[in-house]
Amino acid sequence: MTVFDWEFAIDHIPEVLKGVPITLLIAVVSIVIGSFVGLFMALIRVYRVPVLNQMTLVFISFIRGTPLLVQLYVFFYGIPALVEAQEWQVNPDKISPLWYAFIVYSMNAAAYTAEIFRASLNSIAAGQLEACHSVGMTTWQGLRRVVFPQMMIMALPNMGNIFVNLIKSTSLAFAVKVVEIMAIAKMLANQGYNFLEMYLVAAVVYWVICLLLEVIFHYTEKRLSIFKRAVTV
Amino acid sequence: MGSQQWGILFAQIMERLPITIAMLIAALILGLILGTIIAIIQIKRIPFLHQCMTLFISFSRCTPLLVQLFLVYFGVPQLLSAFGIYINDLTPFIFAVVTFALHISAYLAEVIRSAYLAVGEAQLEACYSIGMTYTQALRRVILPQAFVLALPNLGNTIIDLFKDTSLAFTIGVVDIMGQARLIIGNNYGLGMFKVYIIISLIYWGVCIIIEIIIHQIEQRFKKGRVNVAKT
Repeated sequence: MTVFDWEFAIDHIPEVLKGVPITLLIAVVSIVIGSFVGLFMALIRVYRVPVLNQMTLVFISFIRGTPLLVQLYVFFYGIPALVEAQEWQVNPDKISPLWYAFIVYSMNAAAYTAEIFRASLNSIAAGQLEACHSVGMTTWQGLRRVVFPQMMIMALPNMGNIFVNLIKSTSLAFAVKVVEIMAIAKMLANQGYNFLEMYLVAAVVYWVICLLLEVIFHYTEKRLSIFKRAVTV
Repeated sequence: MGSQQWGILFAQIMERLPITIAMLIAALILGLILGTIIAIIQIKRIPFLHQCMTLFISFSRCTPLLVQLFLVYFGVPQLLSAFGIYINDLTPFIFAVVTFALHISAYLAEVIRSAYLAVGEAQLEACYSIGMTYTQALRRVILPQAFVLALPNLGNTIIDLFKDTSLAFTIGVVDIMGQARLIIGNNYGLGMFKVYIIISLIYWGVCIIIEIIIHQIEQRFKKGRVNVAKT
């Protein structure tokens, strides 16, 4: 037996690549939902909305203080239990595993983006919103037209990190029986005991995705930094 | 019955907390040693090694830990067996610690490097000007400051590592997560929700404790630090 079966590895690359769309789908859906929820939570934290502020704090602490894998399991077994207890007209076995992944990964993205948005919001001078009020904008208009665009530019580098982390953490989706890159690699590896080959292929696939994303983010950042300079001047 | 059962489950899982903590500390110590070496290579830009380490850091940070864990656990024995070395007898615990240490060393190297660079070249020059050697300057001036600067990032890395230890069950380490899986297996899959709630509370609790400890250390070391603006 050869140490490393190159042929086997190269032959099975296309099969592993079939998992890429699922991985990207989970990451994109959760970053989009997570950003909206995260922005909402950041505003709650910044404005210190009485009860909601404490709830958000606990939520963020929980998400950041427990492993994603445990969260996946909690919801994977918790939601069917809830559905059964409520006697809704849904068969929990029929829920696609993707939904569990979307819910858990979105919550994760929300908790992490909330902190980033909060930091960015805090770094924008309060005078900006006052200036908006003085020219007759409502608070919402001021936020939407003046504050949010600046916040987005400031948050972008961190958002890039979060997205890359999300991509990496989708490898845990096997816990809720989603078949993505890692699950496919695992199945192929178990068939012929070609562990080294298949996991290396999986690693390279993740690596390439990650490097591509880094390039994209770098490029976007560079483009958007034009606006940044305009603001400071 | 209800509350009693929760208590028993909690105690059963807590039994394995030392394994998780041992994994965390062992990987952290190994990772710190490796990370420091990598950081030195990166700062000094030692020719060939520098490129190798850049590649290593990129790989470590850009691939999921689970893939790395499987590569080390399944791949390395396969690789070594070709050379006539059999390491299948080693416990999964060792594989887990090695993987975590390698993974975290890449992150720690960046933390150490950025902290070192943040102290600034001027301080080193000031040390030279009063006749200190490089080692003296490092020990007396640079490292104490770099350590304080690195603390927040170090804390985050430790917490991330603690959460990542939950992956070790995939290669058969019976830590708290592995114990939870065993309990579920013994109960024929009943009460899974309960077990996972308990285990998430344990992780949460320990994370908060780690956070408090790091915060305390930070407060202690902040005392000696004088802000530039205050002088």
